[in-house]
This record gives sequence, structure tokens and C-alpha cells, in this order.
Amino acid sequence: MATSKKLSRLLRGYSLDPGFSTRLDTMSINEMVYEIRWEDVSKGPIGEYFEVIDYDPASNCFYDPVELNSVEVLAQNGLPPSEGNPAFHQQFVYTIAMQTLEHFEKSLGRRVIWSPRIVVTGKNEGQRERLAVKQEYVPKLRLYPHAFREANAYYDPEKKAVLFGYFEAAATARGSNLPGGVIFSCLSPDIISHELTHALLDSIHPRFIENTNVDAPAFHEAFADIVALLQRFSVPSLLEYSIASTKGNLGEYSFLGELATQFGTALENGRGALRGAIGKVDEKTGKWQKYKPDPSLYHTVFEPHERGSVLVAVIFDAFIRLYNVKTADLLRIATNGSGILQPGAIHPDLVKRLAREAAEIAAHLLHVCIRALDYCPPVDITYGDYLRALITADVDTAPKDESGYRIALIEAFRSWGIFPDRVNTLSVESLCWSKQDNLTQAEKKAVAYIARQLKEWVAPIVELSYTDGVDRKEIYMASQKVQKDLHDLLVQKKVNIINSGDWSSLMKKFGLADGRVAFRYDDETITSDAMPPIEVHKVRPVYRVGREGVVVDQVIVTLSQTVRINKGNLKGSKFRGGCTFILNISKGYDLEYVIYKNVASQQRFKRQMDYQMGKTEEFVALSESMYEEESGFKNISFAKLHLH
Amino acid sequence: MAKDLTANVRMYQVGELGDCFLLTFIEDADEVNVLIDCGSFRNSSKSQERLSAIVKNIKSKLNGKKLDVVVGTHQHNDHVSGFVHCKELFKNNIKQVWLSWLDDPKSALARRVNDDQKKLLGQLQAIHAQIARLNVKGDYSPVKDILGFYGVDAPGSAVPAEGIANLKILGDEKVDYLTPGEIKRLPGIGVNVYVLGPPRNMRLLFDKDPDKDETYDPALALANKDAEKLLSALRAKVGSADKQEEQFPFNKVYKKTESKADQEIVRVYNNHLNSWQKIDADWLNQANRLALFLDSFTNNGSLALAFELVKSGKVLLFAADAQVGNWLSWQDIKWPVKNMTTNDLLTNTVLYKVGHHASHNGTLKKALETMKHEELVAMIPVDKSDPNITKKNGWKMPAKNLFQRLKEKTHFRVLTMDDGFADGCNPVKDKPKSKWNELPFKPKIDKKNFFVEYKIQG
Repeated sequence: MATSKKLSRLLRGYSLDPGFSTRLDTMSINEMVYEIRWEDVSKGPIGEYFEVIDYDPASNCFYDPVELNSVEVLAQNGLPPSEGNPAFHQQFVYTIAMQTLEHFEKSLGRRVIWSPRIVVTGKNEGQRERLAVKQEYVPKLRLYPHAFREANAYYDPEKKAVLFGYFEAAATARGSNLPGGVIFSCLSPDIISHELTHALLDSIHPRFIENTNVDAPAFHEAFADIVALLQRFSVPSLLEYSIASTKGNLGEYSFLGELATQFGTALENGRGALRGAIGKVDEKTGKWQKYKPDPSLYHTVFEPHERGSVLVAVIFDAFIRLYNVKTADLLRIATNGSGILQPGAIHPDLVKRLAREAAEIAAHLLHVCIRALDYCPPVDITYGDYLRALITADVDTAPKDESGYRIALIEAFRSWGIFPDRVNTLSVESLCWSKQDNLTQAEKKAVAYIARQLKEWVAPIVELSYTDGVDRKEIYMASQKVQKDLHDLLVQKKVNIINSGDWSSLMKKFGLADGRVAFRYDDETITSDAMPPIEVHKVRPVYRVGREGVVVDQVIVTLSQTVRINKGNLKGSKFRGGCTFILNISKGYDLEYVIYKNVASQQRFKRQMDYQMGKTEEFVALSESMYEEESGFKNISFAKLHLH
Repeated sequence: MAKDLTANVRMYQVGELGDCFLLTFIEDADEVNVLIDCGSFRNSSKSQERLSAIVKNIKSKLNGKKLDVVVGTHQHNDHVSGFVHCKELFKNNIKQVWLSWLDDPKSALARRVNDDQKKLLGQLQAIHAQIARLNVKGDYSPVKDILGFYGVDAPGSAVPAEGIANLKILGDEKVDYLTPGEIKRLPGIGVNVYVLGPPRNMRLLFDKDPDKDETYDPALALANKDAEKLLSALRAKVGSADKQEEQFPFNKVYKKTESKADQEIVRVYNNHLNSWQKIDADWLNQANRLALFLDSFTNNGSLALAFELVKSGKVLLFAADAQVGNWLSWQDIKWPVKNMTTNDLLTNTVLYKVGHHASHNGTLKKALETMKHEELVAMIPVDKSDPNITKKNGWKMPAKNLFQRLKEKTHFRVLTMDDGFADGCNPVKDKPKSKWNELPFKPKIDKKNFFVEYKIQG
């Protein structure tokens, strides 16, 4: 990754949301200076990754774009925060977008390339055959700060754009809102990073917007909230304030664990933040209550946001556990060994030290959470898969784990009742995806052959990735080329050194099928016409540094295979399998992990179809519209999911 | 001595989308007739003719007796238009009318909800008109379709509102406005009627809140506000902006028309290579969303009833067009009968009048899974030739998966208004799978008199 220019850009902004600036207790901490990566930007701002276009179609107008490189803006660390000045809104959306992007690039160890645009090139003639499509590189994500008049904001995967809405607040005074004032979703750092995370997750796992199991739509929501929340927890001034007011107990009520407070209170039914990670206001008593780990929720709560908040609570639970362990010594030192604080405020030095610990934990957790995406199967994600990905990702970059991150995560998942499929014990060893040691000699030879090929093909991408000033499009084009080569290799079985029986068996270990696949469902036999088509989604070298300073140099490859069903009761449905496999560059392209979902699995097929056909109680229709079927065959629509 | 009770249910074929059900309970010599809804989506002369033929058939079946109870479930054309078009036929033929508490003129809460709803409806009409004037591209048919439910898609009077108003005067006795948790007894007969919905409050949250200047439903209030702003934007596009619009959401000095705006940005936005990223019409999708919201809101205001045949405990469930909010509220009802829960009613359901013409949002998944009675039969008031269903991107009625699940749950005993037996549910053709022979009575289809009939042994 480009490292030479360490220059950064300083931009002022809100640390919570605008509502906190008009409260005496929080006004002093609600403004901060963000430090983001320097890049050349033109008016908009339009940079390498984002273009902010402030067009407001409902109001029939454009707002003049901010010029971040102008002297006036540079000299005062950006425009001062203001709800009434659209130029600041543009600056702020850009700031938080860049901040979120940086977290991803740092964690993933590679540059972000937006998920390509799918252009349909074939004509729709006769039967509903699959139309020919091509992929187009998307250099910049569009950000529209004032796109519509509604209490909503969403990522549009087709337009490769994030649309932010604005609306009039409730008529009655609530919280610090002006009754009837305008609320802008683009001024909430939580909402911006939440939406950006949807786009970023889509760029890494484009299949995660498919509603294949009850965890899938919830995962997108949960992950976006986790990123928003942990980013907030890495702001030292907020932490210090919160720690001082709760005397170091982060499990107590504080706005730190709430997302989108202003937005939430501004709604007519507003009772505080949109979502909370630590606890929430009890609907019946009106009192705030801390969440208690409840292992039943995972089996009873299916609505995507509610189910998503279970995962958020789990991650937050791990955070609190780590914080408590890592600060116990500080509290003992401060209390002459008793660990029991005296009444009154705690010493400012202690506040600073506690805040530093908390910020460090939050940053590490954030990075583990993002990095884990590379250790997820490319399709059909479940919470259990994600736990295993978290553990594996952490083992790779921090093999010693002296601070207990993995144990904290496992404890948190356990106390919330989330267990992966087919894992016998909840130990690091059994949760970590297994290293590939079940290959036969012949299979090993074939894998080595593929690895050698990849090594040769990937070299130019590695070169590009670590050269400064390289246009991401070059990396994209080079990756596309490798993807095509690998695809041909797999489909045409250009591996002469292995016989076809061994080849089939190897493909199976990658979750793929070498020929037709067949399933039984409801007295019907479903058979694919031929070998289901294989797609190579990604071949990317990564270079990352873990919290223990361990350097990891890998190539991540994701493959998927799709069975399309064109007749019978299941007409129109798809079933996918595939894998993420990881090669270790520094160990001679050794195959480290194959994280797969078997495309020929009868059991998974039945489970997915039962779910998508609405035969299980856990199916929740994502739309209330009578214009839509309730099936899970349609992709998740963020525009609809985010309505409140 | 145990009495012999039967319940006969006629689903009338209104020829398009619509509900009209005649329930006849007979216990020895006693007979009680209950009519639940009478309406069809359109108000065309064809629709009116069909409805009047149906009402005449009802009268001939009653043979001089009056309808003991007439239920109007909610204010949508496809449920109550018959009380306008056939008003004369109903005159002096109804003993009592049941409506939901939402129609009670004495309830301040109900009045407020109705005002808010009326306001939103009015705003949507205006939005619809403005969109038509603007002639923007995009599919805004949901707005038009949904206005059709209120009989206001075309100029003229609002038929459903009139239907409810007529119902209020058509009965001999005073109208009974029902509230969830009530149990009514049908006159002189062993049938209890459990009132399930509409909930007194869509969000229980506000039940216990002392702050009484809250509106009944905050979401409705927000929708009205959003509609206001949408309308104001639309008006400004066609004519000129009013003072408030001028300053919304920013002071007008910031608002630049395309020609006066920064041309660098305008060029990026209008670049034809990136036209797929433009958002010119996205904001107008809100009109469809608001229309669907209003539709759901009214549907959730449906009077949902469970008829319990006391002796056997069997239940006939008439969900009207209740959507999720309504269904969910049933769980919290405390019945004034010992050990009775809503789940018991669901478990004992032997006839389910499928909610909202079997669109997916009209049946709560969990509730359907609770219906486990061996004799379960489902009736779906849907006509697949209805233009709203046949058109491109039309309504999904019956929703594919729900339809399939209903068949599985009922052992392939699903009756539809148009064909009688749903596909796969014919007692002769689909014999091994379709288990009608396990029931004492077979359904009867009378195309001449426009009904599908099914009888239950109580």
C-alpha cells in the first residue's frame, strides 16, 4: 500500500451528532478535529474513492460544493460544524467516509475496490434465460448528502451510491431537538459510517446481500452497526468524558453506546437513540436498562435489526470483558489495592489511562472484525461462521493473544447462545478454521500446481499494490485477468497431473462440484443441467500487520458456484456454494485455509429452500408490500430495510 | 341434551378483489346469520350488478328472516362498497351492525386517528395529481392503485366512507363498536365471538405513557409530515415555492438552480457516461411508500374476529385484512375467560378466512404455524382475473409461498373465490393428497348463484 506520503488532512466535525452541541454537558466534546489521509481532491469533494454530489432533486437545486483545498478551508481545519451550511455537510460526509475507508484498508491490508457495476448486455428474448452481463469498474462511490425527504439513508448497490435523506423533526420537543426543525441524516457520523460499511461489505462480499438464511440480512445490519460503534469508541475525548461521568464503568448508561441519537429522538416515536449496544429504554417502564446476555434471543428474534443488535451486543460484550480485565490493575493501583473507588470523581490521570486502554481495545476489535471478513465463506454467512472467522483472523495476526481477545470473543458468543455448526468444543483450536491437512498426495500435487500458477499470475498485482500512485483500476484490471485465468484453469481442468477422480474429490474439498448436482426437495428431484458455472470473485494479495506486530502476507481467493432452478416449485431460486481459500505468500504459497460451503449439500439446500419459501418460523418478509412475493429469493434492499 | 350445531360459510364470488361472507349457524331450531363485509374493488356497473345479485341471493337464503349481525371490517372499497350500491336491498333487513372501535364517533382517539388518516389520504390524492402533472418517468401505480381502495382514485364521492356511514344507520339496534378483548355471544346460540383487533394502540409503547399530546400512532403523524414536505416539493416544481418551501431545508441563498450552480459539479452529475448513477426520480419513490403505508395502516385497523363453537371449541377465524401490527397485538390480549389464550383460538381454528386476500403481509407466519387442527380449511377471497393481479408488477395474491404453506397446513383443503377448489385441492382430481374425505361435509360450488360454500360440524 502507498506509504510514502504520511501527510494528513485535518477536518472539523461532530463527534456525536448535532443534537449534542446544544446540550451544555456535551457541547464541549461534540466537536473534534478528524485526521484523515491526504489526497488530491477537487470541488465536491471529489477524491480517489468518493464523489460527493450535492444535488437535492426534491428541492430542485444544487448546493455549491466545498473546496477543501482552498486557503480558507485549509487554514481553519475545515469549515466549522454547522447544520445550516450545506458545504459543511459535504465536508462531513466526506470526512467520515474517508475515516471508515481507512479503517477498512488498514485492517484488510489492501486497497478497496468498489464492487463492479453489473451491466446487462444480452437481450431479453423468449424464455427467462440468464442474460449476458459484463462487469464494469467503478472508481468512485457517489455520496448524495441531500437525496430525498425522508427519515432514511441507504446504500444503493445498483447506483453505487449512498443516498442520505433529511426530514422535519417531531412537532413536540424531545431531547435536544428543535420541534419541527430539520434533521439531516448526513450529519450523524454513525449513520454515515453505517451506510458506508454496507458499501464496503458489498465490495468484499457481493453475495452477502442474498437472503439465504435468517442471519444473512441481520449480519449486514449488525456489521454496519459494529463498525459505526467501534469507530466511535476510538475517539479519545468521548471516552474520557464518558469514563469520567461513569467512574470508569463502561457498562453503565452513556451515549457512547448509542447510535444515531439525534435521528432517533427526532422521530415522532423517538425514545432516544435509534439503536443501543449496551442497553435500551424499556418500552414499558421508560427506563434505560443494560442488556443482559440472553442466550434465547438468537433462537427467537428474527427481524433483521433486532437480530442484528444481538450480534452487536455480543461484540460489545467482548469489548466490556476486555476492558474490565485490562483495567483491573489500574483500578487497584488507584485504590491502594482494594479495587473499590472512593465516592466522587475519579482522578483525571486515571480517566486518561482508562480511556487509552478502551480506545486501544476498540481499535483492535474493529480491525479484527473487519479482517474476519476475509475468513468468511463467500456465500450464506451465519453468525457461527463469523465467530470462526473472527477467531481465525485473530490467530493469524496475533498468534500469542496475550491479551485474551479470542477468549473474550468466545465467552461473549457463548453467553449469547451463538454456536457454530459442527464444532465440538468452544476452544480456539476447534473454532479456528482448520488448516488444510486432509488432502491426498495427488490432491496436494494439484494444489501445489495451482498455487504455482497463482504465484506467477499474482506477482504483477503485488507489484502494483505496493507501488505509490497506482490507479486502483490497474489493480482491478490485473485482478480480473487473474480471475479469468484461474476460472479457465478450474473449468477446463488444465491440470494434467491429476486424474479426474482425484480432481472431483479435490473440488469437493473446495465446496465445488465437478459435474451435475442433484437435490431432493418435496418429492421433486432437482438436477442441474450441467456442471454449475463457477465464478472467481476475487484474487487479491494482502499485507497486514497485527496487533502483536506480526506481518501476514497472503493471497485471498474466493470462488462460487451457482445452481439455478428453472422449473418446478422452486422455479426462480438459486443455490450457491463455494469457498474462500487463503495462500500464504511468505511460506511459498502454501494453502492455509479453505473456508467453504458445499454446493452439493442436500442438508443446506433443504434448509435454505425451507427458509426462502417461508416454511420456517424464522422467515421474516423484508417488505410489507403486497406488490412483492414474500420469498427470500430477492436480494436484500437497503432502501426498504432502513425505513423506520 | 347436547345440541347439534353446524356452521355454514358462504364465500361469495364478487368477480374481482373483494370480501363477502355469509355465516349461518344452526343449532336445532335456532338459526343465526352473520354477514361479514360486502364489497368489491371497483365501483363499475358490472361490479354493482354482481353485488346486487349476491345480496338478492343472501335475501332468498334468509327467506324473510333478517341478518342478525352485519360486520363491516374496515373502510376499504373491496369490503364495504356493497353497503352503498345495495343500500336499498339491505334496508330493514339487518338487526345489528358491528363495527370496530375505530368507527366509534364517541371515541376521541378514534376520531383523531380518522382525522390523521383522512389527512394522509387527502395529501396522497394531491401528490398523485401533482405527479401526473409533472409527467415524470417511473412507476407510481401503487399510489393510484391504493387510492382505489378508498374509492378516490377518480373524482367523485368516497364510496367506502359512505359504506361505513350507511352501516351505522342500517341496523335496527344500536351499532356495537367492538374492542379487542371483548367476547360477544351470538343471540340464542352456542357461539362466542372473540374480538381480536384492531388494537387500541398500534404501538403498546404509548399505552402507558402519560404524555397525552402524543398522537395515537407516531408513524402516522410522521407519514403526514413527510407527505406534507413531499407535496410542497412537488408544488414548487409545478408552480412556485411558498415561503416555507423556499427556506427548506436550507436558507434560499444556498439553493442554486442548475444553471446558476457550480458548473463543475453539474457536469459531473450530468455526465452521460454516469447517468446510471443519477437520482432524479428516487425521491419520488416516497409517494409509493407513503401510499403503501396508508394502505397497511387501514388494513391494520381491520376488525378481526374469532367465532368459537362453544361445544366443540372449534374456531372460525376471520382476519379481514389485518396486517402484522394487528396480528401481533392479539398475543397480548387477556381474555376474561379462565385459561383462554389467543394461541388456543389459533390452535383450534378449523376455518381460516385468509387475511388480506392471501397477500404475504396478511398472515402472521407464527400464527399460521400455530394453526394445527386436523380439520383446518382455508378460504381465500381472491379472483385471479382481477386486473390489479394480472397486470405487470401487480399484486401478489395469493402470495406463492403462503399459498403453498396454506395447502400444506390444510392437507390441501384450500378454497378460492374464483375457482372454488385451489389448484391441487380438488376432492376428486387430487384425491390422495387432498384430504376432504376426512371431513363430514364437502364444499359446494354454485357458480350460478356466485358462491363457494363449506359447512362445519360444531
